[in-house]
Amino acid sequence: MLVVGIDIGSRAAKAVSMKNDKILASTIRDTGSDSIKTSYILLKDVLRDTGHTLSDVQYTVATGYGRVLVPFANENISEISCHAKGINWYFPSVRTILDMGGQDCKAINCDDKGQVTNFVMNDKCAGGTGRFLEMIGDVLNVPLEKIGEVSLQSRQLIPFNTICAVFAKSEAIVQLRKGVAKSDILAGLHDAIANRSYNLMKRISIEKDFSISGGISKNKGMVHKIIEKVRMEPLLCEDPQLAGAIGAAIFAREHFTGGKRKAMKIHYGYSDGSGDYFITIDNELCNGCGQCETACPAKILEIGKTEDGNTRAMVSEVSRKRVSYLCPGFTGCSKANEINCHSVCEKNAISHSW
Amino acid sequence: MKAIGLDIGSLNTKIVVMENGVISFSSIAATGEDTESVPRGMLADVLKHDNPDTGKKAWIITTGIGSKSVNIDGQQKSINTCLARGINYLFPSARMVIDIGAESSTVVKLNERGRVRDTANQDKCASGTGLFLQQMSKIIEMPLVEMANISEIEKTKVDITSTCAVFAESEVISYVHRDPPIPKSDIVVGIYASVISRIMAMCKRLGIEKEVAISGGVGLNKGLVRVLGKELGFDVLVPEQPQLVAALGAAILAKELIEKETA
Repeated sequence: MLVVGIDIGSRAAKAVSMKNDKILASTIRDTGSDSIKTSYILLKDVLRDTGHTLSDVQYTVATGYGRVLVPFANENISEISCHAKGINWYFPSVRTILDMGGQDCKAINCDDKGQVTNFVMNDKCAGGTGRFLEMIGDVLNVPLEKIGEVSLQSRQLIPFNTICAVFAKSEAIVQLRKGVAKSDILAGLHDAIANRSYNLMKRISIEKDFSISGGISKNKGMVHKIIEKVRMEPLLCEDPQLAGAIGAAIFAREHFTGGKRKAMKIHYGYSDGSGDYFITIDNELCNGCGQCETACPAKILEIGKTEDGNTRAMVSEVSRKRVSYLCPGFTGCSKANEINCHSVCEKNAISHSW
Repeated sequence: MKAIGLDIGSLNTKIVVMENGVISFSSIAATGEDTESVPRGMLADVLKHDNPDTGKKAWIITTGIGSKSVNIDGQQKSINTCLARGINYLFPSARMVIDIGAESSTVVKLNERGRVRDTANQDKCASGTGLFLQQMSKIIEMPLVEMANISEIEKTKVDITSTCAVFAESEVISYVHRDPPIPKSDIVVGIYASVISRIMAMCKRLGIEKEVAISGGVGLNKGLVRVLGKELGFDVLVPEQPQLVAALGAAILAKELIEKETA
């Protein structure tokens, strides 16, 4: 059985293809600005050398910050569940997970089946996230992959009494001008972040065994500092950044009930500060009759070929990034126009999120 | 005798000198990297005409985040005390002062004699500080001076949902590149709203009391002050040189010490 797990993170997008409990292929790319496009590229990546095509994939689960934007996913599952599941697949004995991502940090408790029992997260503040390290790497002119190693060369760390990324940046610049070694500055910052992560972990119960996932866990300097604070040796999987995608693939395997692969619900649109703006087209129901194309007063719907070769309705490419301006939403449109995409669609395949 | 107030902030150092009950001198300079040389130099400038032989000529009170790291012959007072005294001198009717500095924001409630009643302070995070505004002004490519002229929404209300300055940065960038473009002035008002929401949270914690005055460098931003006034429902008192309020308060405290000594 071939399943795919896709994890669209805030900074990096990850995908894994799995067949009968074995990882076939995996990939990591930058999320970029267009997550829909990125998710197709990821899919091609993980199928390329396997001799399979999209139609062989029996079930796909998407997770991560951009999970609703994966057009071909059968299901969306939160990244917290997926990380716990993924780590559990490697190490069933793990009960505490620290997930250090690009824009947030989570501490998770799970049971022997990889079910989440408790979690806390910080997604309000950049302190202690990948973004923080990225900024500091920029200021100190050390590539992100190297900052961990450099921090380990420190002889005397510079204590940082702030965790705010903006303040830490100015403090780091001051220290740099004073002539303090980059390694000492980095060691101080790693210490501050490790401390913050440890404080997050203290809010759940820290039980044996312990594991770290997410991109930051590839940073040896950070892992070293966290061991210092937590006083527990973490179990690290091969590529801890992939844990979420692997978890998603395992969910896909568990949730697949057999039968023919169902077509996807595709979400077109975005969410911003003012709300969610998605037009969803259920490709299982849509038959590509084209009635909506003529009915839509804003002319944003069109008929085209989907990735798997079927003729289906879709939101035209030029409109996707401005749907909230072009389309007044279903309530607004149905009041103003008797004929709209909802009223003409016999299969009820179209829905609006606003 | 000179009563000197020295406010060593994270960005600027401010000095106010009072002689015979009136302000005789004031100046502002960038604190610099070592927090030591600039404040010392400013102090030396003020004292250079005094004859060192005639005994103690000046009382010095230091305040601000840098006062702990500078070794100056004088007393240290908390920023809250100084703000309360300073604003009471300028606006005797003020019962609340909002201080927005470069790297911190403080709200102080005071009584009619300029004594502190309650305080709320935020210096852990860049949101709701001057640095946040500066960072945002860079991103929308509009100098702070120009930003200060804006206080009205033109078209769309812009909501910045992130508290963190780093995350808000990406949010603002996405607004800048929105198609159709959102007027920059609307983004600016959104940025103000973000700062003000943090300040208002502190004000509400203490209980808002009329009249409210503003101090600190951000007080120079007329647009933000106007939006803040709208949020409060009444106009905010703005000193001519809002940055100097804490230093002025320190000078007043020094003056009080002199009076105690001579009495």
